[in-house]
Amino acid sequence: MTTPQNSASPVEKHGMGSEKYFFIGFLIFVVVLVALLGSINYNEALKTEQAKSNGEALTAWLTEAGLKRFDEDSPHEACKGGVKPTADAKSGDSVTGTWGPCFAYIMKKTKLKELSNSFFNTPPKQISQCVTSDRTAMGAIVLENLVATPVGSAIPFVISPLTDVTAIDTKLLLRMSVCDKGGYAIKISEFDF
Amino acid sequence: MSNQDNSFLKDFNIETILHHDEVANISSDLPMRKWLYSWLLDPNIPGNYLKGIDKWISYLIVANLFALMFEHVPAVYEPFKQSFHLFDIFSVAVFSIEFVIRLYLAPEDEEFKGRKNARWGFLSSPFAIIDLLAILPFYLQAFIPVDLRILRFLRLLRILKLFRVLIPAIAEFKELNKGRTFRQKVHALVYTSAYGGTIHNIFEVFINVWVLISVTAVVLESVHSINYILHLQFVILDTVAVAIFTVEYVMRIYSSVEEPGFKGAVSGRLKQAKTPSTVIDLLAILPFFLEVFLHHLFDLRFLRIFRLARLLKLARGSDATAVMFKVIAREWPVLVAATFIMFLLVILTASLGYLFEHEAQPEKFENIPTAIYWAVITLASVGYGDISPVTPVGRAVTVVLSLVGIGIFAIPAALLASSFSDELVKKRELLKANIYDILKDGHISDEEASIIRSEAKRLHLTNAEINALLELVRKEHELEERNPLPIHKISENPALAVEHFKVLLGQIRQLGIQTDPTRFNAAAQENDRLSASEFDLWKKIQGKA
Repeated sequence: MTTPQNSASPVEKHGMGSEKYFFIGFLIFVVVLVALLGSINYNEALKTEQAKSNGEALTAWLTEAGLKRFDEDSPHEACKGGVKPTADAKSGDSVTGTWGPCFAYIMKKTKLKELSNSFFNTPPKQISQCVTSDRTAMGAIVLENLVATPVGSAIPFVISPLTDVTAIDTKLLLRMSVCDKGGYAIKISEFDF
Repeated sequence: MSNQDNSFLKDFNIETILHHDEVANISSDLPMRKWLYSWLLDPNIPGNYLKGIDKWISYLIVANLFALMFEHVPAVYEPFKQSFHLFDIFSVAVFSIEFVIRLYLAPEDEEFKGRKNARWGFLSSPFAIIDLLAILPFYLQAFIPVDLRILRFLRLLRILKLFRVLIPAIAEFKELNKGRTFRQKVHALVYTSAYGGTIHNIFEVFINVWVLISVTAVVLESVHSINYILHLQFVILDTVAVAIFTVEYVMRIYSSVEEPGFKGAVSGRLKQAKTPSTVIDLLAILPFFLEVFLHHLFDLRFLRIFRLARLLKLARGSDATAVMFKVIAREWPVLVAATFIMFLLVILTASLGYLFEHEAQPEKFENIPTAIYWAVITLASVGYGDISPVTPVGRAVTVVLSLVGIGIFAIPAALLASSFSDELVKKRELLKANIYDILKDGHISDEEASIIRSEAKRLHLTNAEINALLELVRKEHELEERNPLPIHKISENPALAVEHFKVLLGQIRQLGIQTDPTRFNAAAQENDRLSASEFDLWKKIQGKA
């Protein structure tokens, strides 16, 4: 431990003044830099939060729609359940019974058309999976179809991506995730549709 | 032997020394208010409850700050709304009791007792205003509808109560560092020195608390359900932690030239930057900067785990860590030798495994590098079982090597454990020797008492151990009184030899006075107990010859 006797002289040394001001200046610079970088991080985190909100909104809509889509008077024709998909259904087709037209309907005709991916200021797109090397995956939505396996199986579910041509005529158990800034998946929830 | 010598360490009470800070000497005959003030608020009475009260009030203020922070997170606040409210009531109750007690005892306070109206003097003091601001919003909301946001802002004022602890500490720091340079003051704040005072302790506690907070945050971030709710809060927390640790790092580097052995504006600071503790400080903040600057080039998410290195910052003041490093440094050659033997054994085992098992299990024992994994898992007695020998020779070799491995792999661990224990024993013995020296003169100064207290606390010496030491010193002292110095030591110093001779003569004369001369003479001459010359010498000394 340094004692008062063996410490440096208490006399203000020559040149200490400028060193002191340089130190204080550097300290202020460092604090400002950290604050600036922190605010960048915060803004990026806000974009991820926005992506999560998009996922939550879509989850809420799908859950609610899922309760009525097998009814005769289902308000969302494109997502109606019990309708067998046509054999040559493709992405972009307006045929019912598959996920593609349903998703297009949701993003164009419902209140969810206002959703925006803050990373690119475009409507959120759906992709099959989050890929860390793919920068365009940021803020994208991933929907997976969980199909329960028979009792006693090693894995409880078979998971497959919900593609445009996936049939939605039956009740589905879906898992919603969104991709964060690094391209990693953030699980939102699992729900029946 | 003097009376004082007879009572050597007899009245010495180790309890008084060891628990010096814990027991205040306050007369119960004092008037009620004075007595209460002495126990609760008098800063001049060591061992009263003031320190404890300040400490717990400070904890409650910090807890309030956290509660306020979490109230802004609906996912946390909504399910525990009632608990938050109860905690607020509890805090206000404690702060109110504190305020009322301070108001009641104000006439006993040195600061206010000279005034015409001591209580009004207290009420108009800055501390009392701060105390009042901390509790007033709670009572106001009962009568006036106050907006929740304003109420929360007002509750933030509770943090100002910390100034009750900070201001005296700053005043003490100023006093200790009067006339010292700015750099020396920064040094006193961040490094342990005689100039640091209470503010240095507060600084260390502050840094340690932030280390614990940030490490807890890193751990909780890995829990999806928590990170999902608190992601933004974690980002803010990390930024604040990095700002604090960066400022600390810059202050340490700047003022390191005041440390003995680190002189030189550039060389001293570079030397400091290379010390393990400063490297740890750098590791604690580096991931933040790297991730922000380089995230466009690489995925640097893995760097986040290095934020856990902040935990190592706690090791700076730890005596156990210092002992550990000392032990490793001392045993380094043996550890290197043991590691070398381990390395040889691993290679040999892997090679034998490959030799005997490759044909039987080509996919598991594909090559020697693959077999090294199996060798390490086997020799270290982990035995995952994902790769195991199936041939009889392979199994036989494994049995032998496993037995050898138990011994070889245990060497470094046993070595370190034993050396660690030795080092602790050595430290305790050293302390005992120091205490022995302190007790030897039969007097303990305040400074010596302080050394005994801090060292006994550091090495966890119990009252019984200190008492045993005390007993040892007593016996040693008695022995010295009986036989101050051995003859060969006395003979080395002629002056001492003369003095010793005089003492012996005096004792013989005293013997002659006290004994019965007739019976002594009869006993001396009986069976020639004393020779003629010895008897003559006796008579000469007695002055009878």
